[in-house]
Amino acid sequence: MKKSMKTSNFLTKFLFYAGNIIIGIIFVSPLIWMISASLKPEAQIFANMNSISTFIPVQASLDNFKEVFSRLDMLQVFKNTFVYIALILVLDLLLNSICGYALAKFDFKGKGLMLNFVVALMVMPMEAIMLPLYIEMSQLGWVNKLPALVIPFVAKCFSIYMFRQFFCDIPDELIEAASIDGASPVRTFFTVVMPISKTVYATVFILDFVAHWNDFMWPFLVMTGESKRTIQLAIQVFFGTQPIHYSAIMAALVVSAVPMLIMFIFMQKYYIEGIASSGIKG
Amino acid sequence: MKMKKVSSMLLVAAMALSLTACGGSGGGSTDEANATGEASNETASSDGAVNLTIWSPTDKEAVEAWWTEKLAQWNEEHPEIQVSREAIDRSDSYAYENKITTAVTSNDLPDIFYVDGPTVSYYAANNIIVPISDYFSEEDLSDFVDSTVAQCTYNGELYAISSTESSVALYYNKNYLTDCGVDVADIDSRTIDNPLTWSELAEIAQKCTTDSYVGTHIIMDHGEGLSYALEPMFISNGKDFISDDGAVAEGYINSKESVETAEYLANMIANGYANIDPIQDEFLNGACATMLGGSWDVSILEGSAEFDWGVTYYPVSDTTKKAVSPCGDWSAAVSKDCQNVDAAGEFLKWLTNTENTATYAAAIAKPATRNSSYQEEAMAEYQSGPRAMFVEQLQNTAVPRPRTPSYSVFSTKYAEAMTNIFSEAASSHSVDTAYIQSELDGVVAAFQEDYDMYYAN
Amino acid sequence: MSNPSKLSGRKRNERVAAYIFTIPAMFLLFAFLVVPILYTVRYSLFQYQIVRPDNILFVGLQNYQKLLSDENFWLALKNTVYFTVLVVPFQCVLALALAMLVSSKFRGVAIFRTMYFSPQLTSMVVISILWTVLYNSNPNTGLINSFLTSLGLEPINFLSNAKTAMNSIIFMSGWQGAGYQMMIFLAGLQGIPRDQYEAASVDGANKVQQFLYITLPGLKGTIKYVVMITMIQAMKLFTQPYVMTQGGPKNSTKTLVYYIYTQGFQQGNFGYACAVAAVFFVIVVVMSLSMKKLIAETN
Repeated sequence: MKKSMKTSNFLTKFLFYAGNIIIGIIFVSPLIWMISASLKPEAQIFANMNSISTFIPVQASLDNFKEVFSRLDMLQVFKNTFVYIALILVLDLLLNSICGYALAKFDFKGKGLMLNFVVALMVMPMEAIMLPLYIEMSQLGWVNKLPALVIPFVAKCFSIYMFRQFFCDIPDELIEAASIDGASPVRTFFTVVMPISKTVYATVFILDFVAHWNDFMWPFLVMTGESKRTIQLAIQVFFGTQPIHYSAIMAALVVSAVPMLIMFIFMQKYYIEGIASSGIKG
Repeated sequence: MKMKKVSSMLLVAAMALSLTACGGSGGGSTDEANATGEASNETASSDGAVNLTIWSPTDKEAVEAWWTEKLAQWNEEHPEIQVSREAIDRSDSYAYENKITTAVTSNDLPDIFYVDGPTVSYYAANNIIVPISDYFSEEDLSDFVDSTVAQCTYNGELYAISSTESSVALYYNKNYLTDCGVDVADIDSRTIDNPLTWSELAEIAQKCTTDSYVGTHIIMDHGEGLSYALEPMFISNGKDFISDDGAVAEGYINSKESVETAEYLANMIANGYANIDPIQDEFLNGACATMLGGSWDVSILEGSAEFDWGVTYYPVSDTTKKAVSPCGDWSAAVSKDCQNVDAAGEFLKWLTNTENTATYAAAIAKPATRNSSYQEEAMAEYQSGPRAMFVEQLQNTAVPRPRTPSYSVFSTKYAEAMTNIFSEAASSHSVDTAYIQSELDGVVAAFQEDYDMYYAN
Repeated sequence: MSNPSKLSGRKRNERVAAYIFTIPAMFLLFAFLVVPILYTVRYSLFQYQIVRPDNILFVGLQNYQKLLSDENFWLALKNTVYFTVLVVPFQCVLALALAMLVSSKFRGVAIFRTMYFSPQLTSMVVISILWTVLYNSNPNTGLINSFLTSLGLEPINFLSNAKTAMNSIIFMSGWQGAGYQMMIFLAGLQGIPRDQYEAASVDGANKVQQFLYITLPGLKGTIKYVVMITMIQAMKLFTQPYVMTQGGPKNSTKTLVYYIYTQGFQQGNFGYACAVAAVFFVIVVVMSLSMKKLIAETN
């Protein structure tokens, strides 16, 4: 009896892991392909595309990476990118979360209007307003300057709305308890609400980091000059003229994916903590 | 109270910003005044020298090194005209054009920028670039291949100047063709007066199409490549894309001859001689027997091909036997925002002199535009072999793409039509002449609408 | 007696705090989103060739009139709606399933999460290039078709046939995007108290029942949010058709944003592109606000 339960437990566990591994491989395959392509010579990248062997580098070498690092000042590129993304994210997490909190928990005139405003503005695609936004940057004298990369992208409807949705779920009693203790609404937010909302902050951080890390078109339009290159601009160096060197492109993309991967793995911590602190609800 | 003050200040700031933003938009005179102010600030440096800025697409290391070296040399020899270059990291030529377009809207253009050949007319007609005929004498221009001068000329004025050219011809896999019983020696022996004909190409493609090979490769980038690489087929069969004056498409791209050309190409797809969506490096990887490939493919094949290959002249129509070949490359132009066109003209003249043209062409691995450059040591590779064949085509049969301000509308619509025609051929395994006609008629309509709206007088 | 005045004091504090909290973000939204939108609306009333900002012509509602009879616009609208209607359920269900797989704490959970999220870490351009090759119509060069023919099936021209191109993009997009929504679901799942599950399992509820009666209701807010943002993002589809099909074949993958972009930049009809953008904006706003209302009513 005991033994059979043990085997069935083992079987469930085995199936669970097997399923996760198979699905995981399907999802991770492009990343694998990218890494494998970055290790191959140019002529091999699109060879054997009809078999699984395309995912395995045969004559692996680091030549492509050598080319990337000799062509680009990666330190400068990473610095440029980190500076602007860090500025966006700090302001993004602060301003959007307080805005989302007010829309979730405070009672004030114009709240409904603001909420509709946020939802409505969510829909505007960047491609449609790119040119007017550029004209505005030009009038502010921001073309080719850091503010053009940062300031327009601090306030995000998606982030505000997401913060609001999650703050809505925080029990009112918790906030009232703090205010009875004499804390102001502003203080309550920073001392009570923020510390228990790490998961949401982590989620917004991850999603916005990835979005800006992959952004090409806007930095391309407003920034000119090698010293101001962001990561996505730097990669374009290898598109150059015909013939396109995919081997170097893939190596550059792998290099560019590393910080994202590290960031993502690091942010996982807050998801585990999230589980631990979820007891506050109910 | 304090908070109220802050918030009201923010509101005022918001309103002020939105007012200035809306007020200053698009107005011609104010913008121009702004531009002059800014530009003169830029141009007049403390020691009175003229400063020029160049935009050109980022390129391979050898080209970047060439720019650094040459500009240092120029700046040392000409303290009164200081030139600097910004390498533009484009993802494709559309992205680069978007950057130019965006800069136009706010007068942020550099003094000199590089443009792709067929867009010269568009920028010229819209006064984005200015004529530079004064800086190049007729005698000087006669040293350039005709095709590049033609491509850079609009309304009788020279608007751009290029150091390099490009061309397309038919590559073939000798080992595989021999296996399929094709007379490779015959192809090897063809000359510019006696190139392969369409029917000969179709026959080779048929012989070579097997389970693991397709007979030939047609460029399928859904974009400019389709115009660039295939226009000579249309011209060879009797009708160009549009009229010589760049104003009329009716009776050209939708003519009986042009439909025939499209039919010929669609048949290649319908019969399975060519893939509808060929992979990158299809020829190099030994998946197709022949391909219409560019002059830039030579170096890749020399470096990586694991088979014996050859390249022969661009095929001709059976009815006319008229030899035509593609051409066109990036050219330097002077922008409307340039405050000192004379300085820019002088610089461009130096930039495209015989020696600089030769070394630049060698660095970027493209054929040079100047005939005299081929005497330079840097161009030694072009004396024989596949590279010499491309030069021969450029000097004798190259025809530039249509010179019309509505080119990009034409080209986009044409690429769409050809993609549709090929897609139909691939899924039905047959060719429908009426459908081809209707698609090409659509190209005419789109072109004419744009041309009539913005350029017809 | 003192109680009401204290309360109103608190209310006033709250109101002041509300404005301090909302105004910075609202100001930025206004300056960098509303102002460009106002420009867009303004330019939509002009005949405006993009490289001729000094030569624009006021034409009133002419661009909107043209739009009504522009079959490419209607086709783009149809394609966009088709994409949205199919991709939203696919992507959301997939994301929820993935989130359920990796929501509990087990050995290696971080690795699996990273794997599921990894398509988001790979640039869309690479993913599009890779899938273009995977979808290749020739079994000699395309992995999927090589698999199909080995099963004795006919190869499919995934991207080069008007009937299958959009569906191929839908499948790829759902697969690529699911990791994003998975993260939001994961954050939402953390909010469901553990003890509810414990109580349910003591009562003898099986996993399916727990999912239906605890997880789903507990995720209500998250699901609403996810469906809405997935829908809005789907309406903005651009990169995949831009890289993979250029809107073809036969316009079958031409979406509204793609149409706005090509009209405005490639074709230079900036005034007309602005009119399309304005109409697009109205359509999606109406759609998302009515959806928001609909969701509120079903509560």
